[in-house]
Amino acid sequence: MTTTSAVGQLDPVKYEMFFHRLWAIGEEGRLAIQRVTASPIVSQGGECMCSFYNPEGVMTLACSGHLRFAGATSDAIKMLLRRFSENPGFFDGDQFFMNDPYVAGAHTFDMMIIKPLFYKGELVGWTAASIHTADTGGVMRGLATEVFHEGIRILGLKIVEKGQQREDVFATLTEQCRDPQYVSLDLNSMIAANNVTAGRYVELLDKFGLDFAKAAEAKVIEDSETMARAKLRALPNGTWKSRVYGTAVDKRAQALRIFQVVCTMTKKDDELFLDFEGTSPQSDDATNSTLPCTMAHFCVALSNQLYWDVPWSDGKMAPISWNIPEGSILNATYPAAAGNGPGVGGIMVGALSECLAQMLYAGGRLDDVNAPWHVLPYQGGPGFFYGGHNREGLVTAQGLYDIHASGLGAAPDRDGVPTGGHYNIPSGGISDIERTEMQYPFIYFARNHNRDGGGFGKYSGGAGSYRIYMIYGSKNSNVDYKPYGGVPQGNGLFGGYSTGTGGVRGIYRTESGSFLDKVQSGNSYPNFSEDIIADGWAIDALPNDLPDRMALPEFTLLSDVVPGGAGYGDPLDRSPEQVANDVRDSLTSLEVADRIYGVVLSASGGADLDATQKRRREMREQRLATGAPYSGKTSGVSDELQKASGWQSELRWHENLEVASLNGQRAIRCTECGHVYCDVSENYKNYAVRYTQDLNEMPGPKMPRHGFDGVYHIYYCPGCATQVRVDTYSPAPGDSDEPLWDFKAG
Amino acid sequence: MVQSQGTYVIGVDTGGTFTDIVALGESGEVITGKSPTTPWDFSIGVLNAIEEVAKTMGIDRKDLLGRTRMVKHGSTVATNAVIVRGGAKVGLITTKGFEDTTLIMRAVGRVDGLSEDEIRHVTRVTKPEPIVPKELIRGVSERIDYTGDVLVPLNEGEVRAAAKELIDDNECKAIAVSLLQSWANPAHERRILEILEEMYPNGDIFFSVGSDLIRVSGEYARANTAVINAYVGPIVTRYLNNLESKLKEEGLTGPLLITQGNGGAVHKDHATPIGNFQSGPAGGMMASAYMANVMKHDNVITTDMGGTSFDVGMLTNGYWRYASEPIVERFRVLQPIIDIESIGAGGGTIARVDPETNRLLVGPESAAAYPGPVAYDQGGERIATTDADLVMGILDPDYFLGGRSSLNIAKAAQYIKEKIADPLGLDVHEAAAGVFDIINAKMADLIRRQVIRQGYLPEEFVLYCFGGAGPVHLAGFAEELGIKRAFIFRPSAVFSAFGAAAADVIHTRMLSVTYGLPMDPSELNKTLREIEDDLSTAMADEGFSRDKVTFQRYFSMRFRRQTTGVEIPVQWDSFTDQEMGDVQRLFESTYEELYGIGAGFARAGIEINAIRVDAVGTVSKPNMESHTPGGPDASGAIKAHRDVFFTQPDRGFVSTPVYEYDKLAAGNQVPGPAVIESQFTTILVPKSWNVTVDHLQSLVMEHLV
Repeated sequence: MTTTSAVGQLDPVKYEMFFHRLWAIGEEGRLAIQRVTASPIVSQGGECMCSFYNPEGVMTLACSGHLRFAGATSDAIKMLLRRFSENPGFFDGDQFFMNDPYVAGAHTFDMMIIKPLFYKGELVGWTAASIHTADTGGVMRGLATEVFHEGIRILGLKIVEKGQQREDVFATLTEQCRDPQYVSLDLNSMIAANNVTAGRYVELLDKFGLDFAKAAEAKVIEDSETMARAKLRALPNGTWKSRVYGTAVDKRAQALRIFQVVCTMTKKDDELFLDFEGTSPQSDDATNSTLPCTMAHFCVALSNQLYWDVPWSDGKMAPISWNIPEGSILNATYPAAAGNGPGVGGIMVGALSECLAQMLYAGGRLDDVNAPWHVLPYQGGPGFFYGGHNREGLVTAQGLYDIHASGLGAAPDRDGVPTGGHYNIPSGGISDIERTEMQYPFIYFARNHNRDGGGFGKYSGGAGSYRIYMIYGSKNSNVDYKPYGGVPQGNGLFGGYSTGTGGVRGIYRTESGSFLDKVQSGNSYPNFSEDIIADGWAIDALPNDLPDRMALPEFTLLSDVVPGGAGYGDPLDRSPEQVANDVRDSLTSLEVADRIYGVVLSASGGADLDATQKRRREMREQRLATGAPYSGKTSGVSDELQKASGWQSELRWHENLEVASLNGQRAIRCTECGHVYCDVSENYKNYAVRYTQDLNEMPGPKMPRHGFDGVYHIYYCPGCATQVRVDTYSPAPGDSDEPLWDFKAG
Repeated sequence: MVQSQGTYVIGVDTGGTFTDIVALGESGEVITGKSPTTPWDFSIGVLNAIEEVAKTMGIDRKDLLGRTRMVKHGSTVATNAVIVRGGAKVGLITTKGFEDTTLIMRAVGRVDGLSEDEIRHVTRVTKPEPIVPKELIRGVSERIDYTGDVLVPLNEGEVRAAAKELIDDNECKAIAVSLLQSWANPAHERRILEILEEMYPNGDIFFSVGSDLIRVSGEYARANTAVINAYVGPIVTRYLNNLESKLKEEGLTGPLLITQGNGGAVHKDHATPIGNFQSGPAGGMMASAYMANVMKHDNVITTDMGGTSFDVGMLTNGYWRYASEPIVERFRVLQPIIDIESIGAGGGTIARVDPETNRLLVGPESAAAYPGPVAYDQGGERIATTDADLVMGILDPDYFLGGRSSLNIAKAAQYIKEKIADPLGLDVHEAAAGVFDIINAKMADLIRRQVIRQGYLPEEFVLYCFGGAGPVHLAGFAEELGIKRAFIFRPSAVFSAFGAAAADVIHTRMLSVTYGLPMDPSELNKTLREIEDDLSTAMADEGFSRDKVTFQRYFSMRFRRQTTGVEIPVQWDSFTDQEMGDVQRLFESTYEELYGIGAGFARAGIEINAIRVDAVGTVSKPNMESHTPGGPDASGAIKAHRDVFFTQPDRGFVSTPVYEYDKLAAGNQVPGPAVIESQFTTILVPKSWNVTVDHLQSLVMEHLV
């Protein structure tokens, strides 16, 4: 990493002034993007960023915005330097367009415009504007099997030459797309932002001098690394492991494909090693992450939990090393299609976040612990990429990003935030329905919190939302379509359940005349997805085969759901009053209150505390009676040791478990009842009581038609029956059902 | 002692700590005062403040009120009710299927109102407690589309049932009504109001209807608007009625006007409770607008630095801008509220050295009023900018707040040495000066960003400075910005009250539209006429006939497909094809100024997406008393000399004369280096600056280059 002797001698006051100004300039650029763009996902969703790089392409600072762009955009500049330095060369006023996901960015929809920064004739750095755009031309979402299908994929094109926009390049790029106007505004927004940031940057150099700026930028990178290493040093050494599933389409078999991402995170001193051995091979649809996409998502997971207070420069990645098997779904081999890279990246974020959260818990950084959360739906049915025309005959603005209001994961002292946001964008949000209805041919009948939509636990994950809407005012509308198949993503922490277990995603045909008559004369409309068919509003219109896209005739009804966050801790430890309030507020169903939380409600709707206590006692007894330890025994230590007193806690790494020592023996021990599971060198889950829960028999929302794929392995303390872990298990042929070894003390 | 026989206009602004007052006399005299704010009953503080200023004038309160033409009041009652969560129990009636709109908060509600640093701590940031909990929200079946067509008629049975549950069963004292797309067609909301008024006719329940408050699209912020208006409505109404009757008892015969966040005042009976928000900062802007008019300044940056925050506003060509979806506490609303940006930079802003990187970090954290900065000697251990200012010799430890409290300089110096100077290898004064420079740079960056975002350059502006902590830093950030002239006005310590006294009557209407250009101008004219007729009715109630009302029209315009518009003032009162073309060109040129040549995209088409009209009724105001300039010699105002550490143009201690502001006379010149002290503030004048006292006794600071 950069170490400049000059750095140590920098005037600290001048440095702060420089740093703040650089940050403010980037913010100015970002605001310019958000005002010029036509994309709601950029202007309201915040999917954009401005960033600065040194002459070699190392990121010195990225400003607030989309975390994905704070990760691996440096490689775009390094590639420009490698490939285009001689021809066409870089000149003052040039700007280059880039959207190749095999170089940088998460998919072709992530676009960058990059501007070399010149000062007195010298190339002194780079600035870049990045956004997510909804249109690149190519085949419609859902159809691609190679990256060539995913529209324009540009390694580098000089879109502005010495300050003059190149009309030939601009028009050629935009007219590859379905909606040139929309894409033009997006490109203009980046060009405008670069003009702002480059102009301001020159003023910055005028004020501080080039030598100072170079030293200060080196210090920004160095400081990020120093802070990153300091944070890691303060945390305990160890290895944490997470396995998260996702679904793709097997194009050849025309069937659902379940894949897994396995993350093994080893922290030693001030370094972090991320190993993805065991992750599934790449898909033959677009459900793939390129290596740059995976790196970008490292940045998302790390920034949210570990590095939230570390300046966003490449320095923060210096302590991180990794192994990502080539040809795996996290390092797809060119030319695999990668349109759903952010979806796969999101699953990786779920796995890495879970490891990070547990490490932070073990380090006592409880404020930084959140159970994982997800924004990308894991079930099939209608996607969220629309095509066709809106009521005014304009091309529909494609993605409907209500998924940017996912529920967040639960924390050690509170529930997760319902509809809290998107892990990619700390300050992001979703559109008002009123604005969506102006842009899309939809009219909504519901957008509310999804009941049972967050992972269950002592603290529950935040719920996502559910929506019901109707195609309205357009004879030409369609949507991407995926096979049904549910595997919960994002594991809960310490006995909490994974991100919400589902919800109804459906397509329904109405008889247009009678439906409109019915809503008008009856003064009502469907309020819950479950009621659409049950109450005779419409009939199921799901296809029997597996189309890539589905036409949506006018007055088609759709129901959809946004996932929630994962839960934290044993649900039987949840406050009964809170469960009663959640039932009252439609966040928890009676079935979940009863079967998951063991809460008995009185006639008035309040919690009956005595009955609840009794019910919970019975449920705990039931846990031990129905499950069995995988190893056949409940402890790996001698009876004598099991009964011994005087255990000293060494490391509290779990809500209910610790590493404790007695006379030189280090063991995994329950903090509630003192049960000793095993020596610290063994997997505690081998001795926990395990119960295998069919996902389709879980209470809560059911999947339409197909149902869920897989089971939960639920682990209980053999001593006190506390639920200590819920693992999702959806085996591929030949997989072992051996308990996943998720923590090894360092 | 001021003797006066004429009549007065009184402006009173209730702030968090002090209730400020300004009495403007007919002949231009400006009498100011302050009295502690009385949160248990704010009207007591108001009457005490009136008493205070009457005392200064040598008359009694009744006498003063008897001679007062009008009282214009900016109150903090609404803001305070939200902060302490002391509002009414509100029930919300909304469209069925969308009961969670104010709880989902467009997800962005999780971070609204937080600073960038707070937002980054993703794992800690939660949504605020809702003002209306889920159990008090009821949905009623109805759906209107965005063109205003009714798809599902209103289910009146559900409305009646909801009202009974909320009011009879749950004892709600206020009901907010906010339906989807009601901005396009308010018929269902109006019908609900009719039903509510029919069911609960005796006025006990406060009703608040979204489309009555604003006709702008965006259901989340509009619902918050209705909810917050309902939440503070009963309290604000009660307070204003109580205040009015007290003032009348004390002899006031003129009206009580309430200043609003839009920068105007309206008669108490026409003030919407939510209009009260941000009336304090808006007061500062009104005062600035008044002074800008007097001083003939077109482009003004206003800065207000207090204990915890630094607020920046702008006047361009005499206009202020409204914020789009301004945030009240942590809730975004749709209201015309002056756009004032704020960062955590004030006298209490914390400075520290990061142990890992050895960076000297200043802000955004702030020391609370108690224990406050180290120098307050109340147990505070975290160094604040006030400590640095003190150690640099800028502040007088024995004359803080006009001598009302003293500061412990030795302790501040000791802490700065141990916690900042030693780790960085600096001497204690250099360390203090570092804190001073960094906070100045941060303030300059905020101002620069705000100015440039609107298509201007800071050097085209003059600076107005108010708030107690500002003038210490003024020269520092002005020089960073290349601003040559800055003004500190005589009433700057009570500037919001001064603004209230100077306020005109303003009613505002905002309306979302979708007018693609070219369009038939008659449709636009019809819309404008409807808005202006509605405004004329409101202004007639204020006592302004139509010919006495000035309409200021603004169009928000954008390229078709964009999501946000650019607001431009339009000078025409009706439109033909000719003016429509002019408007289009005006938009395109404004857009290029903002975002650079080539950023626009006329091929996508241009549309008007919102219309705003301000109806302004000018309230006659006395001219401020003018003083005949005397000679430049200000030495008579020098009360002492002390060593002050300057960072510009050279770094180091300089023996510096200290002037008493009250003793400076029109025409006096104060060359830098100098310190000017008044009861409420301290002004630092570096060597490269010169101060002239003008005919209004304002301090005109000029950068000598």
